[in-house]
Amino acid sequence: MQKRIDYHQASPEAMSALIALELAVQRSGLDPRMLQLLKLRASQINGCAFCIDMESAEARRGGESFRRLSAVALWRDSVLFSAPERATLAWTEALTQLGAAGPRERAYDAMTHHFNAKQIADWTLAITSINCWNRMGVGFRKTLL
Amino acid sequence: MTARINFYAASADAIKALSALEVAVSKLGLEPSLLELVKLRASQINGCAYCVDLHTTDARKAGESERRLHGVSVWRETPFFSDRERAALAWTESLTQLSLTHAPDADYALLAAQFNDKEMVDLTLAISTINSWNRFAVGFRKMPAAL
Repeated sequence: MQKRIDYHQASPEAMSALIALELAVQRSGLDPRMLQLLKLRASQINGCAFCIDMESAEARRGGESFRRLSAVALWRDSVLFSAPERATLAWTEALTQLGAAGPRERAYDAMTHHFNAKQIADWTLAITSINCWNRMGVGFRKTLL
Repeated sequence: MTARINFYAASADAIKALSALEVAVSKLGLEPSLLELVKLRASQINGCAYCVDLHTTDARKAGESERRLHGVSVWRETPFFSDRERAALAWTESLTQLSLTHAPDADYALLAAQFNDKEMVDLTLAISTINSWNRFAVGFRKMPAAL
């Protein structure tokens, strides 16, 4: 695997803008455990090894169970996730693979059953933010600590 | 196709944060004409009708030619784009379809030949940002104004 540049060092201006976005997501009042699941799922789809390593460790520190984390990649076939978690994971998949399938009507409908309009927009921002980090992580092959 | 929420009204804080990211990207020093091409190509791939309408209109206002804009979706097959633009468009396609491409070494090498380290990160942030807007606009079915 070819070594690429360190993005924090190369453009601190760009990275401080992205960190500001992440902080806005964290302040938006979303459930932190569900947020970790969403980040993990997007990172799995986008193939970001650094992100998966970091988000799974953070989730464990936040009290998440190893069994649930192990099941995130196949959540549709698991009984370990609540209905709001399943809605959020489906929305995450629809938006992360936007070009491939487009957000399915059902994924949006499921979100409206569990969340108000502000929460749906805030979850969407969270999904776009982790997708930004995935693009940095994979684009520049960020190495695991 | 049913209407969905107005995301500007639903979470002003979320859109304020995303707008701040957009403003930061515009100040990083990349050529505005290049940024419009990147935004258009990402929006085409993501199927964002609102974004394509907006960015083709913006690009025309800024002096971009109609022929080049029509060529963006088939840029590899046209002689209209510079090596720097071609490297940026290839990187845009790689990162926009990240789950399928995994940002391959060939596209990274093209990028590194045309952009310095800072510009590579700045362009990556620009691509990430238009991808964020695309997710809002497609996710919530934001439509362009009628003709």
